[in-house]
Amino acid sequence: MSSLDESSPTPSCEYQENLDMLRQTYFFSGLPLESLKIFAYLCTREKFKEGDYLFRQGEDDGEAFYILCGKAQLERLAGGGALPLRLFEAGAFIGGLTLIGETRRLYSLKALQETVCLVLNREKFAKTLDQFPGQRPRIFKAVVDAITDWEERFLEGMAGEACGGCATKMGVSLL
Amino acid sequence: MAKADRPIVKRSLFSWVFDGNLRWQFLLLAIIAVAVFTRVLPLEMQKRIVNQAISLRKVDLLLTYCAYYLAAVIVASACKFLINVLETHIAQQSLARMRIALYEHIITLPLSFFRNTQPGTVVNSIVNELAVPSNFIGSAMSTPVSNVLTLLAFAAYLLWLNPLLAAISLSAYPAAMIVLPYLQKRANAANQERVDVSRTFSGRIAESIGGIHEIHGNGAYRIEKAKFDRLVEQLRKIRVVWSLYRFAVKSTNNFFTSLGPFLVFILGGYLTIKGQLELGSLVAFLSAQEKLYDPWKELIEFYQVYQDGRVTYDRTMEFFDVEPDYPLAPADRPAFDLQAGLEVEGLSFYTDGGIRLLDDINLRLEPGEHLALVGFSGSGKSTLALCIGQLNKYSGGHVRIGGQEVAGLTKQDMAANVGIVAQSPFIFEGSIAENLLYASDAVARDDGHPRPTLDDLIAVLHQTGLFVDVLRFGLNTLLTAETHADLVKEIIRVRRKFQEKYGEKLADDVEFFNEQTYLFHSSIAENLIFGAASRADFAYAELSRNDYFLGFLEQSGLHPLLLRLGAQLAQQTVDILGNLPAETVFFEQSPMNADELPDYKAVVDRLRRRGFEDLAPPDRDRLLHLALRFTPALHKTVALPADLQRLLLGARTALRERVSRDLPGVFAFYSKSDYIFSQTILNNILFGKTKRATPQAQEAIAHSIIQVLIERDLLETIVEIGMHYNVGSKGEKLSGGQRQKLAVARVFLKSPRLLIMDEATSALDNTSQARIQNLLETRWKRRSTLVAVVHRLDTIRNFDRIAVMKAGKIIEMGTYDELIARKGALYELVGRK
Repeated sequence: MSSLDESSPTPSCEYQENLDMLRQTYFFSGLPLESLKIFAYLCTREKFKEGDYLFRQGEDDGEAFYILCGKAQLERLAGGGALPLRLFEAGAFIGGLTLIGETRRLYSLKALQETVCLVLNREKFAKTLDQFPGQRPRIFKAVVDAITDWEERFLEGMAGEACGGCATKMGVSLL
Repeated sequence: MAKADRPIVKRSLFSWVFDGNLRWQFLLLAIIAVAVFTRVLPLEMQKRIVNQAISLRKVDLLLTYCAYYLAAVIVASACKFLINVLETHIAQQSLARMRIALYEHIITLPLSFFRNTQPGTVVNSIVNELAVPSNFIGSAMSTPVSNVLTLLAFAAYLLWLNPLLAAISLSAYPAAMIVLPYLQKRANAANQERVDVSRTFSGRIAESIGGIHEIHGNGAYRIEKAKFDRLVEQLRKIRVVWSLYRFAVKSTNNFFTSLGPFLVFILGGYLTIKGQLELGSLVAFLSAQEKLYDPWKELIEFYQVYQDGRVTYDRTMEFFDVEPDYPLAPADRPAFDLQAGLEVEGLSFYTDGGIRLLDDINLRLEPGEHLALVGFSGSGKSTLALCIGQLNKYSGGHVRIGGQEVAGLTKQDMAANVGIVAQSPFIFEGSIAENLLYASDAVARDDGHPRPTLDDLIAVLHQTGLFVDVLRFGLNTLLTAETHADLVKEIIRVRRKFQEKYGEKLADDVEFFNEQTYLFHSSIAENLIFGAASRADFAYAELSRNDYFLGFLEQSGLHPLLLRLGAQLAQQTVDILGNLPAETVFFEQSPMNADELPDYKAVVDRLRRRGFEDLAPPDRDRLLHLALRFTPALHKTVALPADLQRLLLGARTALRERVSRDLPGVFAFYSKSDYIFSQTILNNILFGKTKRATPQAQEAIAHSIIQVLIERDLLETIVEIGMHYNVGSKGEKLSGGQRQKLAVARVFLKSPRLLIMDEATSALDNTSQARIQNLLETRWKRRSTLVAVVHRLDTIRNFDRIAVMKAGKIIEMGTYDELIARKGALYELVGRK
């Protein structure tokens, strides 16, 4: 009798790589393997050419992206033009909130060079989470923690006179 | 006979007996009359055989009477069979009619009824409970008539033979008729309870299955089991009581009917011994007496069937005896053709629990004016829209469309004048075209409106931005040589044109069929064959059982490698998807279909227990089948080893040479000049498969193909094919945006006077959203009145009026500029957004 090890998955298969990457994101890292496996399986890899938009401002595309390689720029349309804001590179996870609920993008994200992403959409996310409703609190906790961490870092780096008038609008973590 | 327009819940069970069955019932009566005669005739023959033929030793008489006897028996059997056939026909016909009528009634019931009713209860009533009364309807005429006639005939015959003996032997039956109804009454009470408990039981199962996620999530199996156990026990007890009373009816009946022969033996025997009764007459009497039992038994059983049917029917109809909120159609006039001015005056709406959701709403729209309802979630926007659309029955105040009070309009009036696009539109299983025509067909059938033409359908697809989606569905269709011989020739021409114009440009987006390279977007079977089977036994799905192909795999050394690959795929897929429901979203990236999963689970289990080498041949077939389906670009749970890839590529050439030699013509190998029937229209045009799923890549390919299709005048042909695409249950094969566009398109196609859109474009991309917004402003303004619940405030600028709602009230209303200038609620909302 041969052992099952002979037929165990090849380490380099995409599914296994997806699993490893999801475990590194704040959004998924707290989930048990049972559900993580399904998310890793449902993720697809998409290649964006230079100039392609991953998503556009004002749309509700319902997709979250994990950048595997390449570089993408966040833009905000204002005054008839696109204002470049910040760069996202390999390892960035973008769009966790859009998986949780319908929301329009406040920004556009444009590939500055060929960019390969792991993509998961809201329908897949929701239908999987429907199978594990007990894990919803973990997702919410991850999001709440991320928002609080963000504001904490922001306060440390930008608080006081450094951010000008922004102090009057602080309190994202109080939402 | 029951009137056809009387609601089913008001009809008696008896009304179904003759309704639509009159001629069958009369035919049944005629057959019964013959059957009764043929049942009595053998008794007289018995007597004559004993008294005349045997006593007088006349063989010719014996043969004559036996012939009559035999003929009567044959005719009686044929009659019995015919009676059964007609009873079955009547029962099934009535069951079908009852189901249709009840379903027709149920779907008209108010929405509030369904908030408190489990789908399982409705399903159980229509599928199971109605079957019980239908059994009664089938035999409602035949059984009592035939058995009462038979009883009377036998009783008369007995009285004719010997009145005293007959009177005494028949005396048991009246006694039975005193006791049996009492027992049956108890059985009925138990049956009523059984129907009620069964309904709760069905509802509870439906609720548990609906909430299975919650059960899994909380590990609440014990709680659910306990709840279920209680109901099972309750049902068990009541069924036992019901059955016991039923058996008591039967046993009591048996007792009384068994007394008859006892009395005949005592008295008849005495009279025969004393020479006051002929032996032949006693034999005939005993036979007739014995034969009394069967019709009597059947009558008692029929009585039970009737009682069960009556109780079940009455209970079911009582449950659904709810008045629809509005009449379906006007009785004495055609549907109104309303001028769609809208007046809402002092409108209020309370939930069943008395919670106020709308309070003193007042607004007025001239025909063709457009109103946007905005405000926070829960402010009452959708509730107001649903009140205007007659989907919510308002509690107070007035809603008038074209001067007519909505509460007084029929559903047909509303359907003819109002179109509603819900926030989460429901798309029905069926084709795109069927869904597009859903609203128009409903009106057309009611009102005799003309049905939209193909041009209308295509126009509305363009207007809503669904055209490209439907084109894509068309492009993803498989054609057959029989039905599309001319089209495939055209598509070959399109392919050439496409290659010339866009071949190089789309090289990054398309994996072209190239004999020298491995195709990562095609299955292993496709890679090996690099063609399509011309014979059914060489089709991809059959290859794992095809001896010739298996022989090739063995000789080329691929067989064991593919089996291992299949084992890996099976194990991984079962591990990931093993406990998931059979939804498209989970299985579209899987090498196995949802319905194959249980089989593969068993194979994986055996693989785990026995090991690979001891796997039975059918399991190996399954693993090989899975491996042959493996498509590296789609199925990501396993990697394709580089050495296997090389071997497969080499085997492609070897297989081609071997097949060309041994079985020429069994495969049609891919060639740029031939249509590939195993591939979609899109893949045929591309002569390859798309590599990237990003919107940009899809758009680039679609744009190029549209250009070429326009040049060849094939665009609308393909879109027409795409309109036959089946959208799946609840439209699950469509994206959220496509579902919304389809819902908007079907209402646009109906072209109603009043349009109600409840966040109807929330799932659309910017372009589609802008397209529909633009369409509303240019095509529908001044033509149809619009009430739109709007979430995206960047789209409300051009509405004639904007009503801002808060806590069930309109807190301000006016044009966009007026409200912004006022710096009130809208100003604040826009600022927040």
